[in-house]
Amino acid sequence: MRKLFFAFLAVSLILFSTSAVLAAELRFYNWSEYIDPEILTDFEKETGIKVRMDLYESNEEMMAKLQAGGVSQYDIIVPSDYFIPSLTALNLIQPLDHAQLPNLKNLSAMFTQAAVDPGNKYTVPYQWGTVGLMYHKDKIKNFDPKNPSWASIFDPSQDPGPFLLIDDARVMIGIAMKYLGYPFNSAEPKHLKEAVELLLKTKHQKSCLGFEGGVGGKNKVVAGVAVAAVVYNGDAMRAVEENENIAFLVPNEGSEIWLDSMCIPAQAPNKAEAYKFINYILDAKVGAKLANWNRYGSPNEASMPYIAPEDKEDPAIYPTPEVMKRLEYSLDLGEKSRLVDEAWTMVKTR
Amino acid sequence: MSKNLVWYGELTDPKRLTRRGLFFLSPGMLWLLAFLVVPGLILIVVSFATRGQYGQIQWTFTLENLKRLMGFSLFGWSADYLLILWRSIVIAFVTTVVSVALSYPLAFFIASRPARTRYLWLTLVIVPCWTNSVIRTYSWFLILAPEMPFAKLAAYFGFISAGAPLYPGMLAVYLGMISLYLPFVALPLYASVERLDWSLVEAAQDLYASRYRVFTQAVLPQTLPGLSVGIILTFVPAMGTFIVPDLLGGAKYMLVGNLIQQQFGSSRDWPFGAAISLGLMLLTMVGLQVFRRRGKGMEFI
Amino acid sequence: MNRSHPFVTAVAMLTLAFLYLPMLAVAVFSVNATRYGLTWQGFTFSWYTKLLENDFILEAAWNTLLLAVFSTIVATVLGTILALGLTRFPWPRRLKNPFDIILHLPVVTPDIIQAAALVVAFSILRFFSSIFEAGLLTMIIGHITFQIAFVALVVQSRLVMLGRDIEEAGRDLYAGTRYLLRRVTLPLLLPGIVAGGMLAFTLSLDDFVISFFTAGPTSVTLPLFIYAAVRRGVTPEIHALSTMVLLITVILIISTERLTRK
Repeated sequence: MRKLFFAFLAVSLILFSTSAVLAAELRFYNWSEYIDPEILTDFEKETGIKVRMDLYESNEEMMAKLQAGGVSQYDIIVPSDYFIPSLTALNLIQPLDHAQLPNLKNLSAMFTQAAVDPGNKYTVPYQWGTVGLMYHKDKIKNFDPKNPSWASIFDPSQDPGPFLLIDDARVMIGIAMKYLGYPFNSAEPKHLKEAVELLLKTKHQKSCLGFEGGVGGKNKVVAGVAVAAVVYNGDAMRAVEENENIAFLVPNEGSEIWLDSMCIPAQAPNKAEAYKFINYILDAKVGAKLANWNRYGSPNEASMPYIAPEDKEDPAIYPTPEVMKRLEYSLDLGEKSRLVDEAWTMVKTR
Repeated sequence: MSKNLVWYGELTDPKRLTRRGLFFLSPGMLWLLAFLVVPGLILIVVSFATRGQYGQIQWTFTLENLKRLMGFSLFGWSADYLLILWRSIVIAFVTTVVSVALSYPLAFFIASRPARTRYLWLTLVIVPCWTNSVIRTYSWFLILAPEMPFAKLAAYFGFISAGAPLYPGMLAVYLGMISLYLPFVALPLYASVERLDWSLVEAAQDLYASRYRVFTQAVLPQTLPGLSVGIILTFVPAMGTFIVPDLLGGAKYMLVGNLIQQQFGSSRDWPFGAAISLGLMLLTMVGLQVFRRRGKGMEFI
Repeated sequence: MNRSHPFVTAVAMLTLAFLYLPMLAVAVFSVNATRYGLTWQGFTFSWYTKLLENDFILEAAWNTLLLAVFSTIVATVLGTILALGLTRFPWPRRLKNPFDIILHLPVVTPDIIQAAALVVAFSILRFFSSIFEAGLLTMIIGHITFQIAFVALVVQSRLVMLGRDIEEAGRDLYAGTRYLLRRVTLPLLLPGIVAGGMLAFTLSLDDFVISFFTAGPTSVTLPLFIYAAVRRGVTPEIHALSTMVLLITVILIISTERLTRK
């Protein structure tokens, strides 16, 4: 009996030590399909640091994980702009030591003075982009690419075929607001009620297949299960690469423009490695490699010469000034975010 | 002076017995207390707390979460959450009933096989039981895909739009639930059916009982132990399930399980999630009591 | 009764078909040489080879196994002692009832509530020690918690079946408690313990909800991995993985039956 116990103890110690061994490692919590896998292997080769990447589909998911203990388990996270105030208010991210980030100077001025974090105290811009409609050119019905409108999905009489909405509270409600003629960030109870009703009516249409994360929606369109989906522009552009019949555009009423940045959680276990990685991404050539794979807009000025020329000209990735006017950033709503959260719960539950 | 007594053939006194009993009992009980009972109680307390502005827990106590559960939200009264609770009960109930209805023929069939091949048939039922539930659920994506004949048939009749898959939807959720929980009813039920005293059935038949009465009065009571185990193993998980509605219901058909998961996940509203859990727990208890009235003697496999 | 009404047979067959249809579909499409869509493009094993090269999947499989084995062993031990403690001692009614209720709690509580309770428990414990970071340890603790109850219930029913006679006989022959346990009770109990252990093992392998809420970045298990992958878009590699899990399950079942057939 005793011998058995000691044998068990010994075996378990061995097993645990093999699985708990942590060599120089970086825990990267990122959106799914948001980085070229080659960049990770290149980084590993150059620095010897192994990168372990976990994926999430929405800011809320990332935030929930952080609050449930992830703040001391991940070294880098990639939140969207409007989440930064909450992250700093809850002390979930730490101020950055610029001395360890010499490549910060590569960033374009537009993004170093961003209203949400002037001077990049906490954040380092990663990619920026928009949200729009991705669709099968030959399978979509009742749709005019020259005069695209969100009515295709919101108006039941204009049935495009099976479509998906994006599983992102702020984006979906914001788009509904734009369609109804209100500002993207409106949190007036009256407006929210209208938006909720619109979204519920849309959700209950026969053709609506429900909500999916950006990547999930893109994959379903590519697989032929859906004909259209509300997705992030980069995801759509990567699908366009694979299938010529797929296209992406921002409908007339407007949509969201967003900026994702890298941050270091407050109790990150591998800070030094995190700084090395962020600095690596900021390098001109790496930044270009990132944008060329992701097909998103790069905030890195120094990378511009290395970015694929077709991308620079593509209005889906770098929108024309006219389209830019119709795009709005999501803003942190402070106390009113509770209203939006409740509204979204209503949309999802009924 | 403590009395001596004879317990299991051993001459001892109550104190020593109690001490030894506690020695055996405490590791397991303490563990359950520490990681289930006490956290459960804390959860009840949390259900009265408030959600902070950014999703943290604020320890200001209020009945607001319970009110919200009853439907009084910031946007006026709506029966949303009660609807979800109701929907979950209905789905759990229907799933259990259908699973039971399909399990009886299955159990009888296996019991009627010669002893040699019985193991084979039993294994066929056990395999899905042991297979991962995520796999079993997502595999419906393939059957219900737009290219498959089932979806095409539904589109032809206009139930869904052309080229759409048969999921997410009510049908998909039911299919997923039944295929997930059926083995959990079939196996315990089979254990009872195997020990069935067929002479009683024959006696009932000899007395000219109708088929229905033969079943309800000769077969059913004998299979009750297995049936009750099966029902509990199906109804309880079905009430709280979230994989099936998540994958096959999309966000269109929310059940309580999804709702709770959403509160602890992207909505970051732990107090409300705790309140819903409380509601779910109460409902499960009520449901079990209803089932339990009809069945005595819990016997585990 | 060695024959069965044709209607019963038909329904039974249809039910079995219903159970297996989806998994067969997965197996079929795991060898389909197309990345998207469901048209048959030819036979291939390439998805399986890609599987074996994927470090994350292998790690998830290892984690799943480690978790199941470890938690089952601890839970079986704890559960058995618990069952012994409950049935072999004359507890007064007012103690026995709460004990019974606590024992049955994990069975009658939907696992999402148990998971929520665990999340709360660990967030508090994290204040005291960082050992409770979401990870393999928290998952093991979570699994043990519900496994104990199932093991205890199985062992308990077997204990009840054993009756008093043999142990009384042992006592009559002056056996001490430890001796009685080692030589009489436990050997008689062994089939029940093994059954309980097997049940616990299965529950752990298949567990999704509790793992979902207690996992950390380095402790992904196969169910979690498959779920996350399915949410992003099902790929043939997932089909291949699922088919392999299915095959391993079948092998496990057959070997279990051989072992317990004695």
